[in-house]
Amino acid sequence: MAAKLIKILGNCQRSPSTGSRFYSSQVRKCTMIPGDGIGPEISQAVQKIFATAKVPIEWETVDVTPVRGPDGKFGIPQAAIDSVNRNKIGLKGPLMTPVGKGHRSLNLALRKEFNLYANVRPCRSLEGYKTLYDNVDVVTIRENTEGEYSGIEHEIVDGVVQSIKLITEEASMRVAEFAFEYTRENKRKKVTAVHKANIMRMSDGLFLRCCRDVAAKFPDIKFEEKYLDTVCLNMVQDPSQYDVLVMPNLYGDIMSDMCAGLVGGLGLTPSGNIGINGALFESVHGTAPDIAGQDKANPTALLLSAVMMLKHMGLVEQARIIETACYETIKEAKYLTGDLGGKAKCSEFTNEICAKISAH
Amino acid sequence: MAARIFMKRPLELGKTFRKASTNLSAFEIQHKSPLVKKQQKIPVALYGGRHAVTMLPGSGIGPELMAYVRDVFRYAGAPVDFETININPNTDESDDLIHAITSIKRNGVAIKGNIETKSEDTEVQSRNVAIRNELDLFINVLNCKSYPGVKCRQSNIDIVIIRQNTEGEYAMLEHESVHGVVESMKIVTQSNSERVARWAFEYAKRHGRKKVTIVHKANIMKLSDGLFLETSRRIAKEYPEIEHNDMIIDNCCMQLVSNPHQFDVMIMTNLYGSIVSNVICGLIGGAGLLSGRNYGDHYAVFEPGTRNTGTAIAGKNIANPIAMLNASVDMLEHLGHQQHADMIQQAIVKTICEDNIQTPDLGGHHSSSDVVQRVIDHIVHSDRT
Repeated sequence: MAAKLIKILGNCQRSPSTGSRFYSSQVRKCTMIPGDGIGPEISQAVQKIFATAKVPIEWETVDVTPVRGPDGKFGIPQAAIDSVNRNKIGLKGPLMTPVGKGHRSLNLALRKEFNLYANVRPCRSLEGYKTLYDNVDVVTIRENTEGEYSGIEHEIVDGVVQSIKLITEEASMRVAEFAFEYTRENKRKKVTAVHKANIMRMSDGLFLRCCRDVAAKFPDIKFEEKYLDTVCLNMVQDPSQYDVLVMPNLYGDIMSDMCAGLVGGLGLTPSGNIGINGALFESVHGTAPDIAGQDKANPTALLLSAVMMLKHMGLVEQARIIETACYETIKEAKYLTGDLGGKAKCSEFTNEICAKISAH
Repeated sequence: MAARIFMKRPLELGKTFRKASTNLSAFEIQHKSPLVKKQQKIPVALYGGRHAVTMLPGSGIGPELMAYVRDVFRYAGAPVDFETININPNTDESDDLIHAITSIKRNGVAIKGNIETKSEDTEVQSRNVAIRNELDLFINVLNCKSYPGVKCRQSNIDIVIIRQNTEGEYAMLEHESVHGVVESMKIVTQSNSERVARWAFEYAKRHGRKKVTIVHKANIMKLSDGLFLETSRRIAKEYPEIEHNDMIIDNCCMQLVSNPHQFDVMIMTNLYGSIVSNVICGLIGGAGLLSGRNYGDHYAVFEPGTRNTGTAIAGKNIANPIAMLNASVDMLEHLGHQQHADMIQQAIVKTICEDNIQTPDLGGHHSSSDVVQRVIDHIVHSDRT
């Protein structure tokens, strides 16, 4: 009884577009996490572009390098946590995760800490950058907190390891509702639930049931459910048949990266993590330590994520200006960074975008 | 293996112990009690130079494709007799499944379509998974080669995917601890990882392959995929002439869609294998072309590569029969009938690449029976020349 009451109260407070619309004259504080490797230089590029576009945002830069807490475990420094909780909006650069051992992934820790339950990654073919696929317009929405990435692993007997995939009804309902709300807000037509319920009957079955329940509440949006392998197969042959995809953690990770590969790689894909009381937008590429500090990095991913952030905050007009300037720069192909096949420096690319914004 | 025994519910274990002390028939001991296994070798059937092969049509497009295989074999004169076993997807009972498994143990080789398990009951295991686990078919090999005449985005792909087939995410050990919270276990064992890695490197060595890529997600699943990765790396050291590297699965998918030519042989666990094989099949032209081979220590089962049931196109005569025909060619090679295998293989290549008789999924407009008829024509003509 009490649990039901608390749930209802919780529902009242929760809303997918987390109340961040406000007047454009008001200056809003945003947390900026530059990250490692090429992080600092691309964060600076984005800040410069935003300043040129006169976006009413004040940046608060924090560092999330893990520190040893009083209990001996590595954790995010308290200053960073306070900053994001205060501002409720953040922009993050790439962070490094060691393979096989070491501290747990910082990305995961951030997600858990701020309860970021949905990861949205829109993948759209860029006009100036030709890949084998030019008609991609897919949004992958992935459950961000549990699933295969729960991090619960044990060695039961010597030589036998088990890793637990956790699926809860609460998280699945949350992400399904977010997916349908997002589809409605962005005027998209179809939601596809990606699963493997023929093999993982209970876990993916639960996820699927939650999606079906939520789909019943949104009769204007088409809903279909497809097996993961079918989606992979079809996505590679004809990406135009999918619109919005919603899925648990692991499949979402792989599918979103694959869709990013279809449009040109992680260097061009924005990503946003939506939480219960806040949102964190990030660039999903790696830290690229080999080109760090050489002014060769491509700030497009972080820039497009920042544009997503502006749209989330309601500053649609400025978002449109910056986005158009970015797309046009890439389309003209005069100043392209190394990963897109050009020879321009990061600063040249940034200056070109600033010029286009000023000219607007 | 050990994990499966420990993870089964304790009540059932108790029951089994009790049952073991009463009189159980040999059949029951072998099939119904996992702890007490009586290893009685079932003799492999071979009469007069003709092999007996189990055929499991499955559901969807399975039965029609199997009929095509029979036709082609009749014209090719392949010395193979088929023992067909139909598995009813609607029932929860596993009698058909038990017959199928016994038959495969007797014949040693099987060719199968995708078997549907329509039961929504979470206690019933997927029948395909059950067959693989019972027969310990721990390897699934997918030899992905581009067909020159097929319209696709990437050409000249030649990748071999070797995938762990029995454990990993497909362990099917799930439980609902609290209402609304479900746990599914992914099991990775050292013995299985070692077997797969060793098989993969031996395969690479035997077929003159230069590079092996290990696909994993050990940055997140440090213990499980970490174990798989470490074991593979350890085995790789014993084959210094073969280059090896490893790649994280999401990066791998991205690389596959942009530059698949950097891969040669790929090893991975069960779920990643499913994803990667479907991606590569998509790149080559679709689910209708490639065949997969499942190998165990004693048995081999051949099937279409992407394990699709194809219920949507069943009975419409538009399904692509090439995957099943390729599976039958693999089977003939395995049995040692190289001449017949080559004959059918060449007929297939001529039909698809030179004559361009292709079904709708490849962009053509012919029906399945057209394709099969042309393959048969080529076989008949090759006999005469």
